[in-house]
Amino acid sequence: MNKLKHLCVIGAAVLPSAAALAAPSATTHTAKPAPPAAIKTLHPNFALLDAQGTNVLTSGQAVSPMKSCGQCHDTAFIASHSFHVDLGLQSFGSWNKTWHSSPGLFGQWDPLRYRYLSQAGDERLDLSTAGWLMLNGDRVVGGGPATTSRGGKPLTTLKPGAGDPETSLLAANGARTAWQWAESGTMETNCFLCHLEKPDLAARKAAIRDGRFGDASTATLSGLGIVQAAAQGWAWNRAAFTTEGLIDSRKLAIQDPTNANCAACHGEVHEAGDQPLQISACDLDYPQTATTGQVMAAQRMSASAVNLAGKGTLQRAWDVHAERQLQCTDCHHALNNPAHVNDAKGSNPAHLRYDPRTLDIGKYLERPDHNFARGQSAQVHVAPKGKGTMRRCENCHDASASHGNWLPYVETHIKTLACESCHIPKMHAPAIEAVDWTGLAADGQPAKSCRGVDGEPGDVRSLVTGFEPVLMKRTQIDGGALLAPYNLITTFYWVYDDARSGKRPVRLADLRAAYLDGQAHAADIVAAFDSNRDGVVAADELRIDSPQKEAAVKARLSALGLKNVRMEGQVQPFSINHNVTRGKFALNDCAACHRNGSRVDQGMQLAGFAPVTPGFDTANNVSASGDVVRRSDGSLHYRPAPVRDAVYVFGASRIGLVDAFGALAFVGTLLGVSGHGLMRYLAWRRRPHVPLQTRPVQMYDAYRRFWHWLQAISVLALLFTGLVIHRPDIFGAISFPATVTLHNVLAAILVINAALSLFYHLATERMREYIPRPYGFIDDSMRQTKYYVSGIFKGEPHPFEKRPDDRMNPIQKLTYFGILNVLLPLQIVTGALMWGMQRWPEAAAALGGLPLLGPAHSLLAWLFGCFIVGHVYLTTTGPTPLEGIRAMVTGTEEVEVHEQAPGH
Amino acid sequence: MKNRFPRWVFGLLAIGTLVLVPFLYLKPTSTPARQAASHLPIKGAHVDHRDIVKGDFKTGPDVTRACLACHKDAASELMKTTHWTWESRAVNVPWRKEAVTIGKINQINNFCIGAQGNENKCMACHAGYGWEAGKAAQQSKPENVDCLACHAEAAIYNKGLFGNPAPSTDLLAAARSVRATTRENCGKCHFDGGGGNGVKHGDLDESLYFPGRSLDVHMGGKHNMQCSDCHVARKHQILGLMLADNYTIDPAEQVSCEQCHSGKVHQDERIGTHLKAVACQTCHIPAIAREEPTKVAWDWSKAGRKGREDDHYSYLKIKGEFSYEANFAPAYRWFNGNNEYRYLLGDPISRDGPTHINKPAGAIADPNARIFPFKVHTAKQPYDKVNGYLLQPITAGANGYWTNFNWDQAFELAVPVTGLAYSGRYGFTETVMYWASTHMVQSADKALSCDACHSATGKPGRMDWAALGYPGDPIKWGGRKLP
Repeated sequence: MNKLKHLCVIGAAVLPSAAALAAPSATTHTAKPAPPAAIKTLHPNFALLDAQGTNVLTSGQAVSPMKSCGQCHDTAFIASHSFHVDLGLQSFGSWNKTWHSSPGLFGQWDPLRYRYLSQAGDERLDLSTAGWLMLNGDRVVGGGPATTSRGGKPLTTLKPGAGDPETSLLAANGARTAWQWAESGTMETNCFLCHLEKPDLAARKAAIRDGRFGDASTATLSGLGIVQAAAQGWAWNRAAFTTEGLIDSRKLAIQDPTNANCAACHGEVHEAGDQPLQISACDLDYPQTATTGQVMAAQRMSASAVNLAGKGTLQRAWDVHAERQLQCTDCHHALNNPAHVNDAKGSNPAHLRYDPRTLDIGKYLERPDHNFARGQSAQVHVAPKGKGTMRRCENCHDASASHGNWLPYVETHIKTLACESCHIPKMHAPAIEAVDWTGLAADGQPAKSCRGVDGEPGDVRSLVTGFEPVLMKRTQIDGGALLAPYNLITTFYWVYDDARSGKRPVRLADLRAAYLDGQAHAADIVAAFDSNRDGVVAADELRIDSPQKEAAVKARLSALGLKNVRMEGQVQPFSINHNVTRGKFALNDCAACHRNGSRVDQGMQLAGFAPVTPGFDTANNVSASGDVVRRSDGSLHYRPAPVRDAVYVFGASRIGLVDAFGALAFVGTLLGVSGHGLMRYLAWRRRPHVPLQTRPVQMYDAYRRFWHWLQAISVLALLFTGLVIHRPDIFGAISFPATVTLHNVLAAILVINAALSLFYHLATERMREYIPRPYGFIDDSMRQTKYYVSGIFKGEPHPFEKRPDDRMNPIQKLTYFGILNVLLPLQIVTGALMWGMQRWPEAAAALGGLPLLGPAHSLLAWLFGCFIVGHVYLTTTGPTPLEGIRAMVTGTEEVEVHEQAPGH
Repeated sequence: MKNRFPRWVFGLLAIGTLVLVPFLYLKPTSTPARQAASHLPIKGAHVDHRDIVKGDFKTGPDVTRACLACHKDAASELMKTTHWTWESRAVNVPWRKEAVTIGKINQINNFCIGAQGNENKCMACHAGYGWEAGKAAQQSKPENVDCLACHAEAAIYNKGLFGNPAPSTDLLAAARSVRATTRENCGKCHFDGGGGNGVKHGDLDESLYFPGRSLDVHMGGKHNMQCSDCHVARKHQILGLMLADNYTIDPAEQVSCEQCHSGKVHQDERIGTHLKAVACQTCHIPAIAREEPTKVAWDWSKAGRKGREDDHYSYLKIKGEFSYEANFAPAYRWFNGNNEYRYLLGDPISRDGPTHINKPAGAIADPNARIFPFKVHTAKQPYDKVNGYLLQPITAGANGYWTNFNWDQAFELAVPVTGLAYSGRYGFTETVMYWASTHMVQSADKALSCDACHSATGKPGRMDWAALGYPGDPIKWGGRKLP
């Protein structure tokens, strides 16, 4: 062992210098670019060992990656520190008391693929461990459930038995047979799958499908000229090895995993530069793309081979990070990788920005933690210990630097919306919408619908229109909640009650037996479903849309011995985190969310037809607070209700009652003053015109006029800008972000103005003028009221003389007292908290948050509007209609001369 | 009544200022609109010469005299420019004691090699008549200026031997058709350089007569720009100098993208970080000879073989063997606008590797250099085995190689013309020439994107990092560090 480690170290020192010596000298310049240099690898040559530890050249057996790579790397550590290997095995059990038996791929029932990993005690066998491996094995790394039993023992030590789901297999004819692990071998953790440049996935898949698990790792090496399948075992090519019997590392081309390696299991990644991208749409062999429409490619969408709608305008790359040459491992890195370690959340003291004490690279290479950093997707229970360890947007990008100059309320947006909500505005590849396993077509396939494409997904002529993801609230592990984009996939299926284990999905084998008779539908099924009597059950007839059809299928299923058969459905959210775009192509138009019918409450179709109303899969961190709505054409839609998630969006959210009441009050005030004014005019016409005796009085000093008009203009502008913000769809021509900024500027001016004025009045004791004297207040108010109600029409003089130090009549004093001490402060406080959502979120939340503050602010605004109308009207009750306004502009007022005693 | 300025206006102004100033300071900014098109030169209105030009024209100079009757300075202006002199200003070069001039008039390239002594054929692309009289006589007469080559309707005016109009040309019709220059005028010579469509430049060929937007964004599509929109001409001095015929080039005399595209041309800041090391052309010219093929190799040594069939794209008895290529990626070199070396007649050939006819100047450490796309043309052309320099044969004319297929004779006849002695023994040696690619520009959506040059996995792209002097892909290694 030590000697090989020596070799590694020497190799690490020698190889770079060898590379330097071999540096290319000036070459002949031709029109073509210089040919690529031969692939160099830092990895030393090493012996390929079989499971017993013998060199494969000697034994001719299958290679064991654990033993071969284990010569330098601690493969036992790697295999035990990797969720890709474990797949939930360590938490296997009756997990959550549902039909899921683990949080991972091995044990979670995936309604999309439908086959069920049977648990011990289930009366029927669907997938045994071997069956599960044969079906899913090409997306399984090896190790974990592929080598170890649910009880923690090696699979090869289990006694084969047809009754044990770990050591049996469901044959094609429905019989349960024993599975001989000793013969088939088990799949070790296959390092080659991710660490080779060209792992032979097809050969590996073939070996796994055949059940030859022990050959899977060796099959991965096919095509490199190292090994070939022989009649018995494997034929190793001596020429590919050095004279010492070590494999030439350059032949293997060992490397860090690239996007192509991840794509082998996860989904659509397009590496080849100029070749136009093609998509296999809604194909579960590319799971990431099929479930979400995500395509990781650096190519421009307009240069791809996909029949995209509006392709000429889609001149951006599918994913900006792929374009910028980021690899999956740049964000989903190994958790103890010293190059990334300071991003992992640690417990550094508050003052420490960077801790240089990291793992030595050599030690890291010996024991790399294969638990990769992961985010907080909807598949939240997978790899629970790794939740939220991933580098997120904010670890690399500074949002305030890039959004600060054009987005008002930057922090509020960042706290409410995940970056993806705006930076993944649309998915341009089709994704699965619904899979209906309640009915099988004649070929045994369920009805599958694909969103984002007009026509058949596999047909190159179909138009790919893409789709806009739905925004739903995601609860982060730190407790915060953000709106993030999701695709919703709805599945419908039959379930039954297993005698001992509870609810189970009906096995595919049973569903087939119920629906099909050989290669065609059974006669009973045809009789029940064939509505146009043409002898064939077409796709649109296959729907269970009547009680008779349901009963027919139920009967067939019950006849197979299944108890309590019924239909169920679930809606699963799938996170969308890739296919990010630059700001230029993101949602940067305020109107995307801040208007009626915006992205925030835009839902999506769940299924074109739903035999039963599905429930939401709640075993995740997504809040499905919206409504599942069935439309008249039978389709099922999801309609988000952001208000239930305490999301209040200016311009989009509103309480209709508040607006209705406010508008009514405003219109009522308008009508009132118009009526009063009309009556005054008519009365004035009928009266003899006696010129009123007035004398000029210095009523308002400069400061008072200034602060009054500043206040007036601010309030009027605030009301108008507030209305634009509240109803941006009516005022579409006016720039929303500019209006928000103006509103905030005016609000600040208003507050400062009001504060200075308050100080002035308190300091000069002029506040007295605003306070109604309690003694005789009611009588004086009645006198004033009587004046307004009858005296004014008769041309009577004002009951109270207006003096510079006593300018307001009792009703005025009361009104202003209310306005300035109740309405204005409330409006200021609600407004300040709405603005301050980003700075003092606890204070805002304590008072109800935006859903309460917003409508309160709107209601008060309506009341202010009424006040303005009344106030302006009442200024016309002076000696002449415009005298009041003129006085407030110039400062000098023509006051009626009074004989009556002043004061009240 | 108030005969003084009302004071409340001040209050109103104060309120207005108080509101507007913070708003304007804080309001969200919007991006300014592109204004490249506003920099296009404004051309004079077209004056129809059909009623102005009269008379019977028998020779080219006749036409010129008629033009000069009104456009008095035109000839003298043109005679100061390189379109007339076919040589650069005198420059000092490090490997010669005296100043030298470089041009078609006195130097060679690795296409048809040289024009000296071949005037009867080559001067069909000279903006002048009367080369039969010899260089001194031709160059001294203003009436030898060929106005029609650039200003007449290209379809009806053709030049023949010694630069004179072709015998069938209707000079009157041509003279009446004059107007501002179009791509057809410039292209008549520049698209067919090297002896055929698209042979020489790689980025200039006849496909640019009717280009689509995807061939060239300036000349195609709705802009339909003419050569003179970028190669602005003032007093017949046309902006732009060819790398092939110069040693150093003053940027003030060279066409540049910034003539029109100034300011923040890329919204994406990441692209902005490339501008100090990568020329505009590198990303915006992903391929050269996009539609018509261009010659990339020319082997003169195979010329003159009997029994081999002529084929335009692979072999001509008069020229030898060659190969063409279309729609390929250019070669990339550091380039600061000048040549580091330009082969002058009489210079020794290179003994280790090909002889550079020209070598673009620039290196990774040169702050003025940017990575620039080039079309590279390699050739095998004759040289003097004893004297060790490249030879310029007489190819055209009654005794030229193209008639007699006799190299010795071709070189002997050249001796008095070029001044180069011929030892009697010739051979063929490899030469290479660099042609800057600057046409067939693509719009942003078709320009190169990140993965054309960079690769996260280290797969080679179109940039040979080692050859450019980088330790590796700058994405991983960082960009160049300038002193």
